[in-house]
Amino acid sequence: MSIELKNVDYIYDSGEPFEYFALRGISLHIDDGAFVGVVGRTGSGKSTLVEHLNGLLFSTRGDVIVDSDIVRNERAVLAKTRRRVGIVFQYPEDQFFAETIFEEVAFGCRNYGFSKEQVEESVHKAMNTVGLDPERFLPLSPFQLSGGEQRRVAIASVIAMGQKYIVLDEPTAGLDSGSKLAVLTELESLRQTANVTVILVSHNMDEVAEFCKEVVVLDEGTVTFQGSTDAFFRDAELVERTGLELPESYRLARALKECGSTLAVNEGSTDRMLDSLRLCVSDLGGA
Amino acid sequence: MALSRSFVLGQHYPGTSVVHRSGALVKLVSTIALMIGVFVATKTVQYIPIAVFLALGIGVSRIPLRFFARGLKPILFLIVLTVVVQVFFTPGTPIWQFGFVRITREGLGLAGFILCRLVLLTLVSVLLTASTSPIELTDAVSDLLKPLSHIGLPSAEIALVMSIAMRFVPTILEETERIIRAQVSRGARIGEGSLIVRMKSFIPILIPLFVSSFRRADDLAVAMEARGFRVGSPRTRYHARHFRSFDAFILLGTAAALSGVVLWRLFL
Repeated sequence: MSIELKNVDYIYDSGEPFEYFALRGISLHIDDGAFVGVVGRTGSGKSTLVEHLNGLLFSTRGDVIVDSDIVRNERAVLAKTRRRVGIVFQYPEDQFFAETIFEEVAFGCRNYGFSKEQVEESVHKAMNTVGLDPERFLPLSPFQLSGGEQRRVAIASVIAMGQKYIVLDEPTAGLDSGSKLAVLTELESLRQTANVTVILVSHNMDEVAEFCKEVVVLDEGTVTFQGSTDAFFRDAELVERTGLELPESYRLARALKECGSTLAVNEGSTDRMLDSLRLCVSDLGGA
Repeated sequence: MALSRSFVLGQHYPGTSVVHRSGALVKLVSTIALMIGVFVATKTVQYIPIAVFLALGIGVSRIPLRFFARGLKPILFLIVLTVVVQVFFTPGTPIWQFGFVRITREGLGLAGFILCRLVLLTLVSVLLTASTSPIELTDAVSDLLKPLSHIGLPSAEIALVMSIAMRFVPTILEETERIIRAQVSRGARIGEGSLIVRMKSFIPILIPLFVSSFRRADDLAVAMEARGFRVGSPRTRYHARHFRSFDAFILLGTAAALSGVVLWRLFL
């Protein structure tokens, strides 16, 4: 079971004089339980790609296959696909409409016909996953929360439906650094405990390097790289060519190497980089 | 995307012809005058001066005829309906009869008259909106209303409200699509089921839309005030208007067409 795209083209205004290839020959494979990053500069087709995964858009050519079903514009297939793939869009707190956080988070569950008990249970579980105390928050209005709390409620409103695949489009945009880290850590724990596949669209290379084991790199609607995140960031030229930036840790490692240093930093994340640096420096007998 | 693309906003067709470049106020006044002319006419032939002038304008504007045909489409049903009613239900001398269905000479004449009237009215307004950007048009409306500001009508504010509303139509359509995508992804079924269910299904779209529109309005107000906007204080314009020779041509042509209709009606 996995998500697979085979030679997918998507053309806006196909056949019109202004037709425009948003996606061109996209083939990729996302395994169950993976934490995959989707990166690329603005306009590279990330959001268009995301909308194919639960049948908001349909490929002009090629197949999008979710758990061995080809995504087509048919009621039964769409219902099945949307039941499997959840999407958290950019600034998801803009979707709030309910009077209480409970109603907001329960919306999706009710749409999918959960029983009363199932709704209660899923809502509480989702709130715990995003680190918000259900007893305190559920009766409040979603509009009276802080930005970071709103974002978490919005994420909870998607994960409460218990989908296998969760796609998040820039879930940390506009959050303070504490909330950013917390949100991503919560997603990672969700992946580990519930075996949910997480697909993270992001502009922030530091968070991609830290959380995603694999990346899909898009450039002008084509996949220029798919594979291990570490392998991608080690290829500084490719990173540059696709209009992206190296994460801090990889930049430091590269800079050290260029000036002939033998210090070995751990690139995985900025924290780990700092730890390894401290270790090296204390080994050298420095302060 | 589909919603905002299928919605032809204001039907502006950008171009550089003399019709495009002439003053919006002149075009607006001319349009109103021609519409009055259309209503003054009592016989189909009396439309000739207006039709000739309009054809000239359309030709000079270099806007494709396809575009005008598209402008007629929304009122096609109205045209067909009125023509059918006129043809079959006007009493007079029958020229064709089948059972109780009867076509009269008067009916045909009246149908042709109404048809020409509707087509002319539509084409005149399509030419105006096609050759004038919405912003220019609101400026023109504000100019037209200016004399009324002496009796307390806030004409500048009315124009501002109009132009802001027009500016935000595409933005809000896009926002609507965004919200629909998000709610559909949360399993919402929009516009399905019984009437009550269908109406309820719009709540998760309308409320976020209201919330974001109010927030947007608030942001816009702050941004405008931060840049020195004060209600009631006089404003200058970024685009200065110059009277061009073609403006004079439009005004003269309009006057000629209008007087042509009036004279025709009075003396022929």
